[in-house]
Amino acid sequence: MYGWIWRHLPGNAWVRSIIALVLVLAVVYALFQYVFPWAEPLLPFGDVTVDGASAGGAGAGQ
Amino acid sequence: MSVRLVVRTFSELCITVGALIILFVVYFLFWTGVKAADAAEGEIDTLQSQWAREPVAPAPDAASSEPAPAPYRDGKPFATMHIPRFGPGWEWPVLENTEVKTLQKGLGHYSGTARPGDSGNFAVAGHRRTYGDPFKDFPKLRPGDAVVVNDGTTWFTYRIAKKPYRTVPTDTAVVDPVPRGSGFEGAGRYLTLTTCEPEWGSSHRLIVWAHLDATRPVSDGRPPELRR
Repeated sequence: MYGWIWRHLPGNAWVRSIIALVLVLAVVYALFQYVFPWAEPLLPFGDVTVDGASAGGAGAGQ
Repeated sequence: MSVRLVVRTFSELCITVGALIILFVVYFLFWTGVKAADAAEGEIDTLQSQWAREPVAPAPDAASSEPAPAPYRDGKPFATMHIPRFGPGWEWPVLENTEVKTLQKGLGHYSGTARPGDSGNFAVAGHRRTYGDPFKDFPKLRPGDAVVVNDGTTWFTYRIAKKPYRTVPTDTAVVDPVPRGSGFEGAGRYLTLTTCEPEWGSSHRLIVWAHLDATRPVSDGRPPELRR
């Protein structure tokens, strides 16, 4: 998988390394900005209210 | 398809999943705290500039002619909370409603419960872990501890009545005007704080109750509990 990506990047080893680094940073950014905030309410740490909602969901509402 | 390729791809997948999990833990333990500290500071700034812009008449005599105050706006801050037991610098904004997004920026006021200082129960929820860990030291609260709320005109000092009380998430009576289990009898000016229990779980909730002990116009400066 990673070998395949590496082989398909243009340029010499230096250029490829830089592109690879940029790709990694872009993936990490996307994770922190979009994927993790989405996944996080699926975990129970946000349930801090008494609302009658079942555990595991988001602690929404009253 | 050689065996080598399959094994290599499988290993790469495992490493990727491991890296993802580590990143998620970093996000959870560290990044949510950074985001929350930033957001809370922004909310407090908003409040302070709002209070500076439209100074509310200093503590109108709690008489009848007072017009009904404007309702709090959903997701917006309306007060700050200080709990000296959690450290001298512990200051968090209190925002209206207890939705997920709201609690990521500060403490959430249960909509429909009383306003600070009013008769009834001023109920507030907060994260115990992640998003800045505002209520991390919740179990350390003891009877007599002060919970100070500033709504821009008045400092309200509440006194905690008893040690944190453990209950189940469905026990909504703990935020009733006269909270069940608190030992309070009859109407009064109460405060309820709720957070999760155990620390990293959600099977239960921890509750503390307090009653209004003193009020002080903001023009008179910070209450003695907050002076160092």
